[in-house]
Amino acid sequence: MSQAPLDRAKSEITFTVNEKLETVHVYAMERLLDVLRHELGLTGTKEGCGEGECGSCSVLIDGMLVNSCLIPALQANDTKIVTIEGLAADGRLQILQQAFLVCGGAQCGICTPGMILASLHLLEKKPQPTLEEIREGLSGNLCRCTGYIQIFEAVADAARRGAST
Amino acid sequence: MKAYPAEFELVAPRTLPDALSLLAREPGGWLPVAGGTDVMVQYSAGKLPARKLVSIWNLPELRRIEVTADEIQIGAGCTYTDLREHELINREFPLLSSSASWTGGIANQNRGTLGGNIINASPAADSLPALLVYEADLLLVSARGERRVPYVGFHIGYRKTQLAAGELIRAICLKTQFSGYYAHARKVGARNAQAISKVCLAALGLLADGVVDDIRLAMGSIAPIPVRLSETERIVKGKHIDPLLIQSARTMAASEVRPIDDIRSSARYRAAVAGNLVAEFLEQLGARGLRSENAKNVLARWNVWSRAKPLRRSCPVAAQKPGRTGWQLEDHSSMKRPYWLPVTKSGKASRKPIGWKRFEAIRGLAIHFRQPPRLRGLPLGQAKNSKKLELQARMSRSLLRQATARTNKNSTAFSLSVPLANPRTKFLKSSGGVCRMTK
Repeated sequence: MSQAPLDRAKSEITFTVNEKLETVHVYAMERLLDVLRHELGLTGTKEGCGEGECGSCSVLIDGMLVNSCLIPALQANDTKIVTIEGLAADGRLQILQQAFLVCGGAQCGICTPGMILASLHLLEKKPQPTLEEIREGLSGNLCRCTGYIQIFEAVADAARRGAST
Repeated sequence: MKAYPAEFELVAPRTLPDALSLLAREPGGWLPVAGGTDVMVQYSAGKLPARKLVSIWNLPELRRIEVTADEIQIGAGCTYTDLREHELINREFPLLSSSASWTGGIANQNRGTLGGNIINASPAADSLPALLVYEADLLLVSARGERRVPYVGFHIGYRKTQLAAGELIRAICLKTQFSGYYAHARKVGARNAQAISKVCLAALGLLADGVVDDIRLAMGSIAPIPVRLSETERIVKGKHIDPLLIQSARTMAASEVRPIDDIRSSARYRAAVAGNLVAEFLEQLGARGLRSENAKNVLARWNVWSRAKPLRRSCPVAAQKPGRTGWQLEDHSSMKRPYWLPVTKSGKASRKPIGWKRFEAIRGLAIHFRQPPRLRGLPLGQAKNSKKLELQARMSRSLLRQATARTNKNSTAFSLSVPLANPRTKFLKSSGGVCRMTK
């Protein structure tokens, strides 16, 4: 970045985060991940690799699982975003989160928000996934602690208990 | 993060004409960004030279899949998820949907677009070999108008395309003309999801009367651009698939590709894998032909083969293709492992054994046969000799049973008893057993 920085004007971006309408003033190319974490204080969304490999920054945009580190803020304008903070309601964990707790699907916790959102996305598409489908659904999320088996068990358990309904 | 967002400009036009007129005002000045799965990675790493970006994500004109009578037009902004979920693409263009399924993970498939994959022009792009074998056309659009170019030749070098300044890909057109083809796609990488391919193959084959009527092979990651293996296609086309053809196709494919060493793999490994992938495809294509054949014919042919007298004791069952005068070694130099020369129907064969270590039978009856274990500690003389022969006869009988069972899974041929070979004969006669179809 040797050139003198051209300070572009910030844009006004409006989106719904966890069913709450938010307006932020950020640079258009700011990453959605940074907007969520720094502007809105939603630090549940983690940064892992920052290049779309590890899935720890996963959020749902209009119901689609995406890596928020690869989304410029402007592309999130007028969308509905769900982050990990939006799952538990009234202090009660969602079935999927409960299952991760019970099955030991979370350890250090960096991948967990992404894992849970990827699982949620999977269960919305396939309410009763096979093990193979679970593995594919979570293939974009890396975990260095649990060895994945407990995570797969958690998703299967949540599916049995009807997490998608 | 090494980039400063304040240095970059990003605009998001609402419609395709708006985007095109913006691009036309300053040709080459704006970098289109769709799902961002490539551009944003470069941006975050501080390696994005462009400072002005235009978002073409979710433009309605680019996100359509239009189906006409003989063609399907996939909007360039369609994501891999769109491709995977489209019923017609799954049915007619399985290579495209399967390559979409191993591009990145689910989150990347929800954002990455087919047009972006073409423009990014990575040599390792998984979906591009599929476009090559399906002979796709591209609809390029700019403020000046639209043109249609064949995808073959669109990539002109490492990360270089024919796209003119101010142009966008609007749609990718595929002709629906591959209904009878056998489609096979394979990715070799550290893992299927996320990892970038070391070699990826997209292949189409059409068999007519057991002969390869049409074959299309394309590979990624083995050259600066995705390539068709035209030399390999040429030597396979119009021929029966047999082990020798597979072997020469393997050799040809491995020598035709010109891979490089890089962080993901070495050139030697890639060339070997390229050959193996082609061989695997041909084996599957050949086995498909075999399956569709009448089981009775297969059995009849087996009986013809099994009567062929083996040449040496260490090679009890010689399977050979009818109508062919024995195995022929076409290229000694290219074969690392020596092969047997079994006899012909007339009993004539080369007396020069090329080796005994491994014997390859016809695909579908394929058996890797080793020399019988050495017998040690047996009495010398006749006793040892007959014991040895008995063992060989036992092995060859089990071999024949296995092969018959493989040929015809539903028949009871498996339990057929094959007559014992006369242990006194110098050459084994165990192959004389005739299999019959039983109810």
